[in-house]
Amino acid sequence: MGDYRRVALYGVDRLIAAKAEDLKAPDLLVITEETIRLREEVRLQLRALRALKEMAAAYGYDLGRPAENGREAVQWLYFAYLAAIKEQNGAAMSLGRVSTFLDIYLERDLAEGRLDESGAQELIDDFVIKLRLTRQLRTKEYYELFAGDPNWVTESVGGMTADGRTLVTKTSFRMLQTLYNMGSAPEPNLTVLWSVDLPRGFKEFCAKLSAATCSLQYENDDLMRPVFGCDYGIACCVSAMRLGRQTQYFGARSNLAKCLLLTLNGGREEFSGEKIAPEVFQAGDGPLDFHKVWPAFQKMAAWLAERYVATMNIIHYMHDRYFYEDLEMALLDTRADRLMAFGLAGLSVVADSLSAIKFAQVEPVFDHRRLITGFNITGDYPKYGNNDNRVDDLAVEVVKLFDAELKKHRTYRNAKHTLSILTITSNVVYGKKTGSTPDGRKSGEPFAPGANPMHGRDTKGALAALSSVAKIPYEHALDGISYTFSITPGALGRTPEDRVNNLTALLDGYFMKGGHHLNVNVFDRELLLDAMDHPEKYPQLTVRVSGYAVNFVKLTREQQEEIISRTIFAREAGL
Amino acid sequence: MIGYIHSIETMGTVDNGGIRFVLFLQGCGLRCSFCHNPDTWLASGKPVEAAEIIEQLKSYKTFFELSGGGLTVSGGEPLLQSGFVKELFIEAGKLGIHRALDTAGYCKRGDLQEVLPHTDQVLFSLKVVDPEKHRQLTERENVDIIKNLRMAAESQVQLVVCYVLIPGVNDAPEDAQALADLLKSLHGEIPVDVLAYSKLGADKWEEMGLCDPMAGVAPATQKQVELFQSGLRRLGVRLYHVRRWGNLLDEEGRDKFAGNSSVIHIAE
Repeated sequence: MGDYRRVALYGVDRLIAAKAEDLKAPDLLVITEETIRLREEVRLQLRALRALKEMAAAYGYDLGRPAENGREAVQWLYFAYLAAIKEQNGAAMSLGRVSTFLDIYLERDLAEGRLDESGAQELIDDFVIKLRLTRQLRTKEYYELFAGDPNWVTESVGGMTADGRTLVTKTSFRMLQTLYNMGSAPEPNLTVLWSVDLPRGFKEFCAKLSAATCSLQYENDDLMRPVFGCDYGIACCVSAMRLGRQTQYFGARSNLAKCLLLTLNGGREEFSGEKIAPEVFQAGDGPLDFHKVWPAFQKMAAWLAERYVATMNIIHYMHDRYFYEDLEMALLDTRADRLMAFGLAGLSVVADSLSAIKFAQVEPVFDHRRLITGFNITGDYPKYGNNDNRVDDLAVEVVKLFDAELKKHRTYRNAKHTLSILTITSNVVYGKKTGSTPDGRKSGEPFAPGANPMHGRDTKGALAALSSVAKIPYEHALDGISYTFSITPGALGRTPEDRVNNLTALLDGYFMKGGHHLNVNVFDRELLLDAMDHPEKYPQLTVRVSGYAVNFVKLTREQQEEIISRTIFAREAGL
Repeated sequence: MIGYIHSIETMGTVDNGGIRFVLFLQGCGLRCSFCHNPDTWLASGKPVEAAEIIEQLKSYKTFFELSGGGLTVSGGEPLLQSGFVKELFIEAGKLGIHRALDTAGYCKRGDLQEVLPHTDQVLFSLKVVDPEKHRQLTERENVDIIKNLRMAAESQVQLVVCYVLIPGVNDAPEDAQALADLLKSLHGEIPVDVLAYSKLGADKWEEMGLCDPMAGVAPATQKQVELFQSGLRRLGVRLYHVRRWGNLLDEEGRDKFAGNSSVIHIAE
């Protein structure tokens, strides 16, 4: 993610001069393989900065100099971001944290009488219109994994400084206000950096807006600030990084539910029977023994982590070499830190499967090839999402295990390992390609997204589910722990005031418990069902699916059905 | 002590202010034809230790404090397990958690007496005042219920009367009059929370293989609720206020939140 603010703040000429200066640094004059590569990259960055200037000049703007007022700051920022997405496809890169930066320009214009409030709002509205307009043409496979045509124009709003001042400004409100002015929309991907210390009025504004538009996600500023400082932004869906100082090699995720099936099937793929992994265990007749399955799963996870790091190293080596992201890198420090963001999918399936094996009786059913086709489960078992430590601890152990295994392997350019529990919308595809699992999930059925409990198994209501997810340790999943939460308006409270009060308390409470990320959807299931049959009535219906939002009626039927099958807390209890 | 529970809802928001941990106890003596939870009637349920519930409550204390919520014990009829409720309330009280009792008052006098001193708020669900209508609606008499209501009013506990408005059943002007007369005869000024009858429990009747006696009855509309409320107000009855702050309506005065027919705006 480039720090696009630098273009407005310094102007491109100054950035070019600084990069040229970097080439003269003593350590870059020692010629080794590493410095040759870096010198070449800086040359590419310089070329990209000149191209950025040229593009803006074609529209009649001189980006060589810094922006001088609010209007120019918006324009300069937009050009910088536009140049980046002309080169890259929008994934794993984002806008950053621009609202509060822009506020400085807008405040000065307001103070000096060059602008009034409606003019300031209009500038932000226009900026957002531009951001909503961008579109990337992609392959069919891409759409299946990342449904709804996302661009991840993630804008981080709010948060606090290290010394306890709020970073909420009038322009934070203006940015959010665009959802009222122009209706809800998936982009930009508005992300509130939530701190318990945020001003009460801002919290209530967010809660109210969430309930009205389902277009906001929240991330725990109190959790991230100690790790990333107070000038970080969210790239892609949920990934935090220091603006201008860190970059990320992003790379999909490992399907740990499939890893468990590989374990039980002696390293053979559950559909084809092909041996694709080492044989660390082979399930026999009779109930599975947790004390045997868990160590075997640990071994298979270790094997998978090693393959995963190797794959990521190759991808990013090749990407840097053949498709270097020169403009974005030009807007970072030359010596920026690198993160390598790994991911895992199927957390709730694995946790529930292990719990079923441990607390109930789970017998595999074999076909003629001795491949497992299903499981007979006798008895009940604790399920992730009900604030029950017996199973929540298993989920925690799985995350710690995979994080530790990844960290055993060296990464390309010594990037720092991070891990996300985030599936974007690929939980549907992962599910499709994974056989029946010991938790009772049938072959082909979708996983729950991200760190969500499995659909319908979180039966004790919202607080229990939130508490389970909040137990996943952030220090072992620094790239984010995504929870997409859906509730009906009625279940949030009886009056609008109650709903805002309760949603604010819910967010404060969840984040105080150590939760990292929360998507908030407030809708009735009936609304979504109606939108499936009458899309023409809901052109702007936006729902949060993962680390981003989508226009509901643009999803495939399959994706829509998966969203509808998710738990929607709805109990209006007690008469 | 062991209680027999139907289910737990960790985020109940409708019964009272704030986010509430709602414990639904199993078993009820009434047979209300409009019951939302007919699956709580029979005395069966899952046995749970009070200490276990207290452990769970502890982990949600932050949410209660932030929202002004707490514990609500509902049912079924919670007072059929008064010893269990008493223990829960005593322990919750020690933790500083607000305790609400959601009862229909169809229990022995002693059961209510036992629990009241450990209760912060009673939500007393009154079905209908006229004895004959009550018999028809619930298959039971309401003499003892009204005695229990009087006792609750005379105690120190905050009392709210909940009245589920069922069109054509208990929404006539004479029903409002009888309710107003009863409330005026009670100790203190007891507020009423008028709730709209909805069809939320209808599928439960079907699931249980029971014939829903309310099959032909429509849910109460907001207009019907407002009409009944204004009738009560004219008779000098105080309506229950849900706490309000800030202006949360948009410029045209609409609720910014997505529409929901079961939401009742209590305004006075």
